[in-house]
Amino acid sequence: MARVILGVSALYHDAAAALLIDGKVVAAAQEERFTRLKHDPSLPVRAAGWCLHHAGLRAEDVDQLVFYEKPLRKFERILTTSVAAFPRSALSFPRQMKSWLGDKLWTRNRLVEAFGLPSAKIGFSEHHLSHAASAFYSSPFERAAVLVADGVGEWATTSIWRGGPEGLTPLAEVRWPHSLGLVYSALTAFLGFAVNEGEYKVMGMAAWGQPRYLEQLHQIAKLTPGGGFTLDLDVFSHHWHPTRASTDKLAALLGPPRAPGSPIALLEPGADAGARAEGQRHADIAASTQRWLEDALLHVVRHAHALSGEDALCLAGGVALNAVANHRLAAEGPFAHLFVQPAAGDAGGALGAAQWAAHAVFGQPRPAGPFRCDLGPEIDVGHARQLADDLGFPHDEVSGEDQLAAGVAADLLAGRAVGFVQGRAELGPRALGHRSILADPRGAGTAERVNRQIKLREPFRPFAPSARAADMGLFALPPAAADLAPYMVIASPAADQLRSEAPAVVHVDGTARPQAVDPGREPLYHGVLDAMHAATGLGVALNTSFNLKGEPLVGSATDALATLARSALDAVWIGPLRIGRPSARALGE
Amino acid sequence: MGQLRKVWIGLTGRFAWRFRAAHLLRAFSRTEQGSALDMFAACEATPRRELRRKYFRHALDEWRHAGVFKARARAVGGRSATETGVDEAGVIVEHGIIGGRTLFERLGERDFLAFVYVAEADAVEQFEVYAARGLPDPDTQAALSVILKDELFHVTYSKHELERLTGAPPTTGTAAVVGAEARAAVRRIRWSRLKEGWLRLSLDIGHLMTSLWLTLLYALLIPPFRLLARLEPAGWQAPSADPRPLRLRLQSEA
Repeated sequence: MARVILGVSALYHDAAAALLIDGKVVAAAQEERFTRLKHDPSLPVRAAGWCLHHAGLRAEDVDQLVFYEKPLRKFERILTTSVAAFPRSALSFPRQMKSWLGDKLWTRNRLVEAFGLPSAKIGFSEHHLSHAASAFYSSPFERAAVLVADGVGEWATTSIWRGGPEGLTPLAEVRWPHSLGLVYSALTAFLGFAVNEGEYKVMGMAAWGQPRYLEQLHQIAKLTPGGGFTLDLDVFSHHWHPTRASTDKLAALLGPPRAPGSPIALLEPGADAGARAEGQRHADIAASTQRWLEDALLHVVRHAHALSGEDALCLAGGVALNAVANHRLAAEGPFAHLFVQPAAGDAGGALGAAQWAAHAVFGQPRPAGPFRCDLGPEIDVGHARQLADDLGFPHDEVSGEDQLAAGVAADLLAGRAVGFVQGRAELGPRALGHRSILADPRGAGTAERVNRQIKLREPFRPFAPSARAADMGLFALPPAAADLAPYMVIASPAADQLRSEAPAVVHVDGTARPQAVDPGREPLYHGVLDAMHAATGLGVALNTSFNLKGEPLVGSATDALATLARSALDAVWIGPLRIGRPSARALGE
Repeated sequence: MGQLRKVWIGLTGRFAWRFRAAHLLRAFSRTEQGSALDMFAACEATPRRELRRKYFRHALDEWRHAGVFKARARAVGGRSATETGVDEAGVIVEHGIIGGRTLFERLGERDFLAFVYVAEADAVEQFEVYAARGLPDPDTQAALSVILKDELFHVTYSKHELERLTGAPPTTGTAAVVGAEARAAVRRIRWSRLKEGWLRLSLDIGHLMTSLWLTLLYALLIPPFRLLARLEPAGWQAPSADPRPLRLRLQSEA
């Protein structure tokens, strides 16, 4: 009998479900793609339902459901912190207790109720163990050190593990409230961006500034001998304040915080000198925050190397999605090999929880072959065609992958930006040619057009390139990062050819965050790049996630058409179906 | 009942626009965003092709309104920068899909249309009262006037389609719904919205009472334990050893 394991992450952010059958990942999806609420934390009823449906199973076929963390241990941390921070925790205590006593403390019961499984089939991993498992068991390594860094799990905020055939062994951990991830989040909030969402913006903004505030940050978040770090708990307030991550002392060090939603004058034409200076100060704070994180991670990684004695490192947790820091770890760190599972945040926790149960608890073998993250639902082309008809979107269709690749490339070469919906959706935040927006990166104005008119987001944010695997010489990837190339999780200096020929995918600091497209893994997408190469001598496309600012990646045909209608996108390819822009009349305007 | 409701909207609106305008506009934005999700989900799921385009257009309107309300909320001010940055990330209002099913799936086409009709008619009434009493600032009022036109369209099309779906002769304009089945659906929705409103109020009161009790407990019970509790020290620590076999660890929540 096949063993069926369902991993679930939920109740904080990025709820997801992952289904393993005999140790093989057969499906995984995030709840937000179904509910359309970005970072949706609710129990992933829809995502799990889809996973089971995809595998032709029903809830009663599940042998083991594994929740990605231990709720009671987390509650212990919250209670202890509230007591230790008395009386400053007066505002957070009622809020936290209401949430826990009325809801999260009864996670087992809620899982039983939501998924219709007996309590005996419900199990619990640990937060950092789930992250560590998602990275190690998805990696190509037999043995490796694993570093997990995020905001916080139960108690651990940063942890080091050793992975091998014997399973995952914890070696050391840093505990709440000292957290690398929460320093970055506090500065993200300080810069007026939403926590758990705006960290990418800080990383993108950093390239526009100079780390003029690095010394101040090193004063309030000190790196200590022995690979550790300590936070000034008079400056950071995440452990006692319900909504503020820092106190006024941070403003005393860095100047006033940026108001959310206020214009960022970095690239705004017509901004006055005062606004520009303020925008530059914000960029300098972002640059300092980014540099501090890189310094801290490098410090921690050196300790992980000394402690584990391994030559390969797997990274997981939300911090592992910092592509710029990953470059420094690969280039300057002590490990010979690096791997980052692209769904490194909490959505990957569902995957890791199930993988830990399958491989470590039940002893099932690890599947061979490289990790693929296209584990989600497909969009039915027939349904998309019907919708396009009903909604008055013009459409036509090609036959065969060659024609499809040629058609997409022709669109791109004609200067059009297109939605590219092919096959199963990716797990995690990276669009790798399954739910992507593609454009020709050669035009200097392409990046600004896609940012302002298509993604409707800040003009300072960079775009990533997808390149044929054979063209990875366009990027100075460190040798340690060879296994990261397919996943767009590392930023590296771009070669001169790329800088001059594809400016839209090179950030202001001369770096790019590439995806290597392998003809064996992604034949269709590789075909598109091949066709572009044949026409221009450059097999590179601008690739960004197919969504608008603040929304999850498209999950259905309606989502795709809605994105087309609300932006300046020129067309959407859903499988072989090309859907063009609707007329204003068709939309009733 | 209608006059009483208008008086209530006027009274609560006067307070809200004077003291909590940004909060009110953010709430409107979230409501519109939720409606857009409901309408997109209905567009995806409806078997009636003639309705699909209307749901889609309606969703686009709601999405646009959400952006307008959000921009107005920012313009009229709010909380401090650091506070808002953290808080907005934590506030994800559950709407659209509840318990794994969309509003459309829960209600079915007929009651969904009745729901749209009732919700939009209520919104029209609310905005008209605000305008008549001059409650919003001029810029927000100008935005509301544009939105009101869209809402009127939503009222008329949902009424028309509801009547058509239930076999009544479809009417135009904003006059009362005709046909017994359609009227029954509208009554059912009004009753369920009333019930939901009552439940929400009860929940709010419950939350307030719970907060008061928990604050009292905090003040009385926590201080003695304060002396015993310590935050964890900084730096690397050895993970606490767990001697339990893996299968037992898996079963445990602690």
